[in-house]
Amino acid sequence: MINLRDKGAEFWERSNRPVRVLTVFAILAVVAALPYAGNTFLQTPVAAFDAVLVYPMGMFILMALGLNVVVGKSGMLDLGYVAFFAVGAYTMAILGTRTGLNTWEIMPIGIAAAMFAGVLLAIPTLRLRGDYLAIVTLGFGEIVRVTALNSEGIGGALGIAGIPFPPGLGFEYQLLDQKFFYWTILVMIVLVIWVIRRLTVRRPGRAWESIRQDEDAAELMGVSTYKYKIWAFVFGAAIGGGAGVFYASRSMVIAPDNFTLNTSILILACVVFGGMGNIWGVIVGATILGYLPDRFRFLSDARLLLFGLVLVVFMNLRPEGILPRKKREKAIVKKGSGASI
Amino acid sequence: MSKTILNLKDLTIKFGGVTALNNVNLELKEGEILALIGPNGAGKTTVFNLITGVYKPTSGNVFLGDVAIDGKKRHHITKLGIARTFQNIRLFGDMTTLENVITGTDVRNKVGLIGSMFGTPRSRREEKASVVKAHEILKFIGIDEYADRLAKNLPYGVQRRLEIARALGTEPKILLLDEPAAGFNPQEKVELAATIKKIRDAGYTILLIEHDMSLIMGISDRVAVLDFGQKIADDLPSVVQNNPQVIAAYLGVPEDAS
Repeated sequence: MINLRDKGAEFWERSNRPVRVLTVFAILAVVAALPYAGNTFLQTPVAAFDAVLVYPMGMFILMALGLNVVVGKSGMLDLGYVAFFAVGAYTMAILGTRTGLNTWEIMPIGIAAAMFAGVLLAIPTLRLRGDYLAIVTLGFGEIVRVTALNSEGIGGALGIAGIPFPPGLGFEYQLLDQKFFYWTILVMIVLVIWVIRRLTVRRPGRAWESIRQDEDAAELMGVSTYKYKIWAFVFGAAIGGGAGVFYASRSMVIAPDNFTLNTSILILACVVFGGMGNIWGVIVGATILGYLPDRFRFLSDARLLLFGLVLVVFMNLRPEGILPRKKREKAIVKKGSGASI
Repeated sequence: MSKTILNLKDLTIKFGGVTALNNVNLELKEGEILALIGPNGAGKTTVFNLITGVYKPTSGNVFLGDVAIDGKKRHHITKLGIARTFQNIRLFGDMTTLENVITGTDVRNKVGLIGSMFGTPRSRREEKASVVKAHEILKFIGIDEYADRLAKNLPYGVQRRLEIARALGTEPKILLLDEPAAGFNPQEKVELAATIKKIRDAGYTILLIEHDMSLIMGISDRVAVLDFGQKIADDLPSVVQNNPQVIAAYLGVPEDAS
């Protein structure tokens, strides 16, 4: 199989700034034009293509990017990521229906609420590792859902309806034409990529990476592992919360059923399928896993079987994901030059 | 006599019923190379683990200068100026050589996640300074040509040296080396001895665990011997070498002599 990751990295390294900028804009233009590709082979048979681009695809990408910081970069298995998505969504739903605040005003509140939930989860659980951490996070995800289910004040099993659309910024957000939702989420995704890339090449990225590889050695080399693990959780939660706010505002109605363990697992599948730790891989993974079930909806129930089959086959072919994490070595060292050991 | 920089006082640690260390006292003077030797299972690495905060002593204290550091967080102890290497190599294999050292230097950096996220001028400055510093350390240790290689792909000897470089990255006062020459051939051991001396001459204090006697006798200023969790000798290399107790610990005692 062609090594796309190395090819891409090579191209990026060889290019100078104008070429890079041009490449980025070209890719962005193509991606931004996707809603107009609805009448081609890409068309999804049941749901409108532009709606599929927003949910699941765009949302999955956003959430997978957030989860990737926790699972892929820091190596902590989180099976309850949907909880942060739910916190963001419910913040939007409650404030949007009961106060005069609009989506953009609620966004920072929703993100803050999700971050707070992240801290709440992180402080007691981050002393655990591996499987134990996974179990606790799984429990946390379920607790949030069951709490919502049993709280009549926030709609119980019926959830909350009548959540307002975001106010237009010189354009109108519409139900039947979701281009603007798509472009908004695109902006969010680009923003998140930008921030994650920054963090990755700097101190927090190194701290997360060292924690993933050898937590004890990291701690002994002076990395405050507890602090950076909390940061990873909180940062991931912020992205999940932001996605949740936007999701609720677009869907107009949310219910506890939207936030089941299935979603957590699916997002995790996006991360693993695409390539843990590699943001481009994660994006590809989320794109494919978000798109496929809707594309093959005409197979009705069999599509899930197909979905599982694709996962199994691909994970056998590429166990490290479509675009794996492994970094290339920048320079090949000349042999026999200097140091003897 | 130069002043004591690290002081282990009556250090005892028990794991269940096993007393791994029993009332060990050890003083490390500023600027010296102190070798810690002893048969397998004598408690040498346990001493390192107590100093670096991996274990808490059952009783006794570890003083860095005048400050008791036992019970402090491990990363905090590193920040106070103690760095170590590992007996079994524990590098960050998926990082490059350079990144491994930079990860060490990060303990001296002040910018955290928020500063890095917004790319403050200070964060840029620190990142750049870290790269420069890491290269300097790699040159000092003699492995700068491997800077961009992934740590897991490095030759064994370079990995061992990188362990030292990464520890130096944290700008320690005291460097703890846990069997740095394990698996080296005689030529490599000679080179390593020169490196360790060079590190000491650059102003670091070194506590060294080693099994290779010729290496130890060649470079250490003082040798402390552990046996079954007890310190049985602590003196100049030449004196320790002829200490009957030490010889007995290593070779056993003839039956008719006991």
